[in-house]
Amino acid sequence: MKALRRRFVRATAEIAEGARIAVSALVGARLRSFLTTLGIVIGVMTVIAIVAIIQGLDRSFQAQMANLGAHTLYANKWKWFTGSDGWWEMRNRKNFGIAELRAVEEESTLATAVAPMAGQRALVSRLDREIENVQVIGTSPRYLDTNGGTVAQGRFLSDPDVELSRNTAVIGADVAQRLFEGMRPEEAIGRKVLVRGVPFTVVGTMARRGRMLGMDLDVNVLVPYTTLLRDLGSRRSMTIAVATEPGKMEALEDELTGILRRVRRVPPEKKDDFALNRQDQVLRLYGQLTGALYGVAVGVGLITLVVGGIGIMNIMLVSVTERTREIGVRRALGARRRTILLQFLVESSVVAALGGAVGTFLGLGVAQIVAAVTPLAAAVTPSAVALGLGFSAGVGLLFGSWPAWRAARLDPVEALRYE
Amino acid sequence: MADPLIEIRDLARHYVVGGEIVRALDGVSFAIGRGEWVAIVGQSGSGKSTLMNLVGCLDTPTSGSYRLAGADVQGLPDDALADLRNREIGFVFQTFQLLPRASAVANVELPLVYRGIPRRERRARAESALGAVGLANRMHHRPNELSGGQRQRVAIARALVGEPSLLLADEPTGNLDSTTGEEIIGLFEDLHRRGHTILLVTHEPRLAARCPRAIRLSDGRVVGDGPGADVAALGTGRTARA
Repeated sequence: MKALRRRFVRATAEIAEGARIAVSALVGARLRSFLTTLGIVIGVMTVIAIVAIIQGLDRSFQAQMANLGAHTLYANKWKWFTGSDGWWEMRNRKNFGIAELRAVEEESTLATAVAPMAGQRALVSRLDREIENVQVIGTSPRYLDTNGGTVAQGRFLSDPDVELSRNTAVIGADVAQRLFEGMRPEEAIGRKVLVRGVPFTVVGTMARRGRMLGMDLDVNVLVPYTTLLRDLGSRRSMTIAVATEPGKMEALEDELTGILRRVRRVPPEKKDDFALNRQDQVLRLYGQLTGALYGVAVGVGLITLVVGGIGIMNIMLVSVTERTREIGVRRALGARRRTILLQFLVESSVVAALGGAVGTFLGLGVAQIVAAVTPLAAAVTPSAVALGLGFSAGVGLLFGSWPAWRAARLDPVEALRYE
Repeated sequence: MADPLIEIRDLARHYVVGGEIVRALDGVSFAIGRGEWVAIVGQSGSGKSTLMNLVGCLDTPTSGSYRLAGADVQGLPDDALADLRNREIGFVFQTFQLLPRASAVANVELPLVYRGIPRRERRARAESALGAVGLANRMHHRPNELSGGQRQRVAIARALVGEPSLLLADEPTGNLDSTTGEEIIGLFEDLHRRGHTILLVTHEPRLAARCPRAIRLSDGRVVGDGPGADVAALGTGRTARA
């Protein structure tokens, strides 16, 4: 018991001693320490910045996914995220329109909500204020069930709005803020806005939804699809959003395929001339994107950490040579080989971890700057900080082990005599 | 001597330098009892540094036997030698060999760190050791803030703090002026009176003459062993005590 306690006291004293020496060496040779740890600092900074941005994206993305109807199919002639393959073929397909919408509304048994989404980009204005390139979506009251979102002020579109093709509009949070700047939020209700010159009465505003993959979900105007088709015209193909209960996506897919093939008169031998898109395609794309980013981050990080590690090794070799006599003295006073080994390992990992701390700090700063000037988000998580510190200390340990081993192998007699 | 602290028999240390065997120490035998103060004297190249390294357990002999405090030293593994140095030997070097970045008291604590003594006890013992060499008011000075004599006092405090059975001093006055050197020798005399066993390695016959006993080495062999004054006065080639 007493021997164990002695061992513990001895080990902790040696580690504390190593850390103290490392810090005093750092303070004693600031420029050299700075240059030594620069590689580590840059490596950790890069990794931390990228990780913080990816985690930030993850967070805002997950918040979005919670809002968006996760159990919704989006039927249209376009397939999402196909790149350029089949573009021409899809372009030449027959547009989705009212016929498809009616058929799905009437025949689908699995659908819990069906909403049309006829979209176009348009200039929206009020008095002297204008916003260009606003997403104008013609839809129905079911939109809230298929696409999510909540009304902040006033009401959402109603069935009579759609049936009577009223010029009513529900506006996104950013549109409300910019067109009605300086007013209380509820004062927007009942006022007129112009969508491509056509007057609409604002009946409601949407709560802020944020951004997803850099797309702003708050710069939009929702109007009855009947009004959109009548007043603004649309030669674009309509999307039909169909929501179902969890676990019934596959069944819904089969059902919709049947309904749509029939209503679009697709001969049995031909392939579908439409696509049923799902949110998890976004997820998959997102996974590929962040996976690639992670890969780049890890690659860059590893290369710079190796460079940083070589810097650490270099400085530790210098440190061992400079302190040869000190090593001799310590050995004469009773330090074992492994005590010397431990001392230098502690020193190299403390030096590296300090570099890692600086790098973590800078990396989080870079992530915040990136988040501020680009549509990307950033998050500071304890795991990222722990990763930065842990990784750099590990590099210090790895690249410090050879110099430390050399120090431990020194012959005490030679070391004491070293000039 | 019934129970000698140091018992050395036919001790030899040969080096191979450029294909040739150098017999730095070539069959040395002597014993030193507890409480003795013995000088090892000889010209440079006589083998006294080699002998000191062997006695200090820093080096291992080519042949012969060495018993320290009743235990065989030869054949011990490296860790055991380190522990032996820590427990049984207090080193005092010509160039002081203090750690430059550590305070006096931190330097003195070092042997106790390697022995696993808890921090508080370590500090108390180091402070009292510094007090014993007259440096109670210099505890937190760094070596470069101390004079040569003060540095050597710190080194002596460091050698004594672990209460070793042997104080091994290698030319302790070699880097000091004569007045300061005299003070340090006075300190050794004092330690000897208080019962410490001291082995002092020097090339100065004048210093050896002040020790109760001296052993003279020449070409790796003992050529004189007897009262300090006699051996110091000795030329090479004759023995005082056959």
